[in-house]
Amino acid sequence: MPALTETIALARPRAAAARKGPSRSLDTLFRVCSYGAALFVLVVLAGILGSILYGGWPAFREFGFAFLTSSAWNVGTEQYGALVAVIGTVASATLALLIGVPVSLGIAVYLTQLCPGWARKPVAMTIELLAAVPSIIYGMWGLFVFAPLFARVIQIPVSNLVEGLPIVGTLFYARVPSGVGVFTAGIILAIMIVPFIASIARDMLDQIPTVLRESAYGIGCTTWEVVRHVLVPQASVSIIGAIMLGLGRALGETMAVTFVIGNANRLSASIFDPSSTIASRIANEFNEADGLQLNALMALGCILFVITFVVLIIARLLTRRVKAA
Amino acid sequence: MNAASAIPTVDLTRNHADEGGAVRIAVKGLNFYYGSFHGLKNVDINFHDRQVTALIGPSGCGKSTLLRCFNRIYSLYPEQRAEGQILLDGENVLDPSVDLNELRSRIGMVFQKPTPFPMSIYDNVAFGLRLYEKLQKSELDERVEQSLRKAALWDEVKDKLRQAGTGLSGGQQQRLCIARTVAQRPEVILFDEPTSALDPISTGRIEELIEQLRDEFTIVIVTHNMQQAARISQFTAFMYLGELIEFGPTNRMFMNPVEQRTQDYITGRFG
Repeated sequence: MPALTETIALARPRAAAARKGPSRSLDTLFRVCSYGAALFVLVVLAGILGSILYGGWPAFREFGFAFLTSSAWNVGTEQYGALVAVIGTVASATLALLIGVPVSLGIAVYLTQLCPGWARKPVAMTIELLAAVPSIIYGMWGLFVFAPLFARVIQIPVSNLVEGLPIVGTLFYARVPSGVGVFTAGIILAIMIVPFIASIARDMLDQIPTVLRESAYGIGCTTWEVVRHVLVPQASVSIIGAIMLGLGRALGETMAVTFVIGNANRLSASIFDPSSTIASRIANEFNEADGLQLNALMALGCILFVITFVVLIIARLLTRRVKAA
Repeated sequence: MNAASAIPTVDLTRNHADEGGAVRIAVKGLNFYYGSFHGLKNVDINFHDRQVTALIGPSGCGKSTLLRCFNRIYSLYPEQRAEGQILLDGENVLDPSVDLNELRSRIGMVFQKPTPFPMSIYDNVAFGLRLYEKLQKSELDERVEQSLRKAALWDEVKDKLRQAGTGLSGGQQQRLCIARTVAQRPEVILFDEPTSALDPISTGRIEELIEQLRDEFTIVIVTHNMQQAARISQFTAFMYLGELIEFGPTNRMFMNPVEQRTQDYITGRFG
């Protein structure tokens, strides 16, 4: 191979790299900035957590564990408990998921599997626009338009129907059918989280390789079987992630919920009755609160923090299990 | 190869049907369109019962398109359509009244890349069975084992049937897909470049497997690999620009092609 050796011999050895500019110090600066940005997030998080804990501490000290189990919230006698708000928060968010997740998955499946090409863009755009609607609009619409309609069309007939029956008679009975309540909040929240879950789930279903879809159809599956047994399980990790993102939003949503949940501090087994969530309670009262009431609100904030954190951990555990399976 | 060279150099295209037994699939005047693009032009070809037919030709010549007509998988895409006739045991599969799900359970397909479903090894095989047959647990177990054995995978997975199918190696995954297809006891199995994503050893195993499957199934395989076509097929069809250029027994096609273009392609002059 004379030609090859010649070429090698002809290649001149590279001159030692001569660099221009103060790259070394710039690199250090870049690294420090990058570290700083990452650290900043941690510091802010720790700061927020620390300050609410500090603010809420007097309430925790005053009431102890009973703060969690008490349903009292009385400004006059300075008795505070978180139970109603915690249950309201969890219940409204759970209802939102129960309503919102099937709808979101339906949208995602329709857009990726069934929708004719020309309709895809407009439908997807509409759903993304839904995400851009400010929450105060949802709240206003929920209170002035949806709640009266809901009271007339659903609450009153259903209450009449189930009155006196065991279990459903408590669960679906409205003492005051005004339209506002936990269920209404759940519906409004569902509308708010659908665009998030639907658009992430759609992206995930879109990323599934065509051959997998074709091979599922290729063994004779119907569209439902392909979606149910192959596509959704294939994307399940990301879909759970999307659902948890929606749940996070539902737990913390303030404005819209404050409008439609009724803001009552009453423990009720009926999902048609008014209640409050942690966020709505804080939004309603922080303006005039001071002393122990303010501490109690801060303590509520801590609890919301913990709830969202637990949701995040559960999401992580779930996705890990799905990955392993 | 010696036996092949003994074949007299007469035109065998007329009477090749005698060698391969009954015709299982008869394609008549098949045209295929991707929107306005004319992908297959007036294709006439017969596929013989329990024989391997290889479809060869350069990329974009329509081999996969032809394959995708048999189980009408193309109909997932509204802009694609086929005209003409594909008779499977005398029944036209292109007839709009054909039940697509049932058709696809009769014509299995294995793809370029392994496509295990997101479920256990056992369920991957049992899934297709459960769709079309009501089986007792013991029967199901038996059919799953039988299929995995036919796909030469049983010994490697028998202790981990409950583990995810996606945890297997590429070659194992492809054999799992073959087991899944075989489990449904289809009449025809379509292979769309089944070894293009596999290493040479896995490829060899899949080729052996296809040879064995020929005892029971009519097989059509698309391949870019001419040696592969020569090794495993009894019939070869050469396609070019959407047309069927030449079709005949594999030996004759490789030793003594009639068409100049076939000659050029198999000797590597283009493609």
